[in-house]
Amino acid sequence: MFLPAGSIDETGQTVDARSQAYEVFRNVTTQRNYKQISTPVVEYANTFTNEIAGMKLQNMLKWFNREGEIEVLRPDWTTAIARALVNQHPSQLKWSYQGSVFRSDKDGIESRQAGIEIVHTPVFLGEGECLLTAIHYLKELNISSYLIELGHTAIFDELTFPLQLTSEEVDQLREAMHDKRRDVVYSIVINKGSKQIADELTSLVDAFGSFDIIEKYEDKWKNNRKLLEIIQHIKQLALLLKDSGVDEVSVDLGRVKNLPYYCGTMFRGYIKGNGATCFSGGRYDKLYEQFDESISAVGLAFDVDVLAENIDMNETNQKICIVASEETHAYAESMRQSYPNVIVDIRYNLPEVHQFDKVLEIKKENNDYKVVEK
Amino acid sequence: MKPCIALTKGRIEKQFLEFFQSLSYDVEPLINKGRKLRVETDQFSFVFAKGVDVTTYVEYGIADLGIVGEDILIEHQPDVFNLFPLPFGHCRMALATEVGKEWPERKRRIASTFTNITKEYFRQKGESVDIVKLEGSVELAPILGLADGIVDIVETGTTLKENGLVIKDEFLEFSARCIANRSSLKIKRDVLTPVIESFQKGVAVK
Repeated sequence: MFLPAGSIDETGQTVDARSQAYEVFRNVTTQRNYKQISTPVVEYANTFTNEIAGMKLQNMLKWFNREGEIEVLRPDWTTAIARALVNQHPSQLKWSYQGSVFRSDKDGIESRQAGIEIVHTPVFLGEGECLLTAIHYLKELNISSYLIELGHTAIFDELTFPLQLTSEEVDQLREAMHDKRRDVVYSIVINKGSKQIADELTSLVDAFGSFDIIEKYEDKWKNNRKLLEIIQHIKQLALLLKDSGVDEVSVDLGRVKNLPYYCGTMFRGYIKGNGATCFSGGRYDKLYEQFDESISAVGLAFDVDVLAENIDMNETNQKICIVASEETHAYAESMRQSYPNVIVDIRYNLPEVHQFDKVLEIKKENNDYKVVEK
Repeated sequence: MKPCIALTKGRIEKQFLEFFQSLSYDVEPLINKGRKLRVETDQFSFVFAKGVDVTTYVEYGIADLGIVGEDILIEHQPDVFNLFPLPFGHCRMALATEVGKEWPERKRRIASTFTNITKEYFRQKGESVDIVKLEGSVELAPILGLADGIVDIVETGTTLKENGLVIKDEFLEFSARCIANRSSLKIKRDVLTPVIESFQKGVAVK
């Protein structure tokens, strides 16, 4: 029997590392007072494709149900959680989840995520808690070499507002910004008649870096109240991370949203060794507008597959094999208590020596049990 | 660690090396590389590949930067930063047919290496065509009766002319472009920014 392309049976270290990532995540989020939430893996496509959620149906695993409605395998956690949280009591502010998402535009179709959502919480507290949970989690996983990047959706919105772009032009310009395609950014804006905004947006393409960029733009935007508020908000978050021991904080002021529901700060975490994105998220109050709710909401999702690849899984626990028989099995089982932090396997035949650090054989002689080390 | 640049083999490679030399970089090991596909210089690590593979190496972070034709970027839409045009590798995308042959009134068959670009071109014109994918020597298709026309890149037009084809429409203009891996640009900012800035200065001079 074969599996569809991209699907695979997994064993051993890959599964162990992923389980560890989930386990550590559960411990960290429990310690920080998150409540777990789970949503079904099958949802209506419209939950994700409506105008506010804005995901593409073509990238989802989908089918028609008996009523002719399109159902999908969950392509995104945040949108599903938003749908679910509308029915939850608002006194619970912090939620955590873990499980798979399914997208046909990603390698492997299924990818595993663990994430948090914080609702009904003041802006800075919610965003700070998201980022501090992220660094707490990475620390617990012993992942120390990473870069956290901050961005903000309103910078693009504020700078392009005077251009009175059509929605098609906004999409084109946002795509060019997303690709850091400076010549196209300049060309689109100059055609709208503003050299000043064309120059501003083109230079924003390169506005990524550390506190030097923040300070440069704090000075540059000192006479624009809205942009100054944004850069000072980003600076405050960056300082929170710095004061919490994060070595590398980066900003990308030219970053634009890739989903319509983002509306404010955006986060991303990179593993420095291989450049993999280990988490991403941001503010998405707008997502709740579809449910006629006005809610402060922010969250991020970790890519558990990426984390699992970067966890050091050197086995440190000693492995012991107890060779028993049907007659001595109960005694062998009772011996486990003597080895609380050791991996103990009971077998009826001698194993290959290299599989275990120690092999003990139980023999029964005159109603007495004798343990012999092999 | 040295920045890794993926370079499209062939015409773009030659033009890039001239450009690179004009920026006072050492190109000696690159010119005398023989058949090697990976070459180290004092400052860089270079890999040489077909255009579409250049985008793959950059997308997956094997290479930090890539030099590739824009035709490849439009056709394959890799998830990379598509930074800026370079002052070489200029060409156009054109629809060409056999000289003196009537453009048939029935559904047309078009041969191309660039099937996505072809599909989008005819979609925008509101015309439904059959598209035949060819890997090269696309000019043969109308001559041998495989297709009514071709969509292909044109630099000087000489190949079309020598094969009895004529341009019916030109619809895109390209040059080579500098692309970057999305993570590398952020994580290796300190080493990549000076390189990118030197390329941009070179572009401005040209």
